[in-house]
Amino acid sequence: MSEEKKRRPEDDGQDFANAAWSIPSYLLSGMAIYGGAGWLLDRWLGTSALFPIGVVVGVALAVYLVYRKYGR
Amino acid sequence: MNALTVLAADTPGEFGAPTPESLFVFEPIIPGVAWFTKPVLLAILSSVIVLGFCWAAFAKPKIVPRGVQNVAEYGYMFVRDQVARPFLGKDADRWMGLLLTMFFLVLVWNLMGVVPFIQFPVASHIAFPVVLAVTIYILKVYLGVKHQGAIGYFKNMMFPPGLPKPIYFLLAPIEFLSNMIIAPFTHAVRLFANMFAGHMLLAFFSMVGFWFLFEKLTPLGAPIGVLGVVMTIVFTGFEMFIQFLQAFLFAMLAAMYIGGALHAEH
Repeated sequence: MSEEKKRRPEDDGQDFANAAWSIPSYLLSGMAIYGGAGWLLDRWLGTSALFPIGVVVGVALAVYLVYRKYGR
Repeated sequence: MNALTVLAADTPGEFGAPTPESLFVFEPIIPGVAWFTKPVLLAILSSVIVLGFCWAAFAKPKIVPRGVQNVAEYGYMFVRDQVARPFLGKDADRWMGLLLTMFFLVLVWNLMGVVPFIQFPVASHIAFPVVLAVTIYILKVYLGVKHQGAIGYFKNMMFPPGLPKPIYFLLAPIEFLSNMIIAPFTHAVRLFANMFAGHMLLAFFSMVGFWFLFEKLTPLGAPIGVLGVVMTIVFTGFEMFIQFLQAFLFAMLAAMYIGGALHAEH
């Protein structure tokens, strides 16, 4: 969000709604993408630790994304 | 109407909670026409109701609204102020036709769940919300490509400004999955699941009341039956609130997706 642009009162509500509806979706996506990548790697390499690691990394990345987009 | 007794016939003489099969699978109304079932009939009826309602309200609008027009204008103002304007800003009026129709249609679909003797929320069959969600999804992608360019649309979506460069290739897949797959999926499923669960709850409680007060009236069972009736009434009220809320959310998310496609996040 560029701060120099004149903000209308409804922008805040809109940002809030956008954030509220996007956050669960981002968290889920993060888990799915990196958990899925970990799962595939597990199958390929015959390990079993990469799936949970991938899920955690995915959530962490999603939280970071949400924080950068909506947190400030 | 003896539908409830039929539903209970799982183990004769014992109370059985209604199953999804007994509540959501219907015989064709006309034998041989497999697609024409109760939900389809209700969907057609809902379209006719919305058409008739809007026709009655807006065909000959008066400066000072009365009767139906008054009610419909409340609906219009609600959708415009709560759904369209917060997400579409100055484009709100252009999209009111779509959003208002969608809101009214979903609302009527949902309210079918509490209309006596009809009592089936259309959206509890997932195909119906899927059609609306897919329509909005196609519209969203079309508008995004039209207003931001094919490359620009995906670039704006997957590479929002303000992030450190190296992190982009980690976050772009998350953005893509979230916007292009999970968003339309949840758009449809949210409406479907709410209506499905609400219908199950209502059927269960009314079943309890019906069974313990009419089918098998015993001194011990009667209070449970009364509880069932009370819960049915309470949950019917609650369900009407949910039905309204879900119609509002469905239209609101549609407005949000359209707004996001018209203007890149900045």
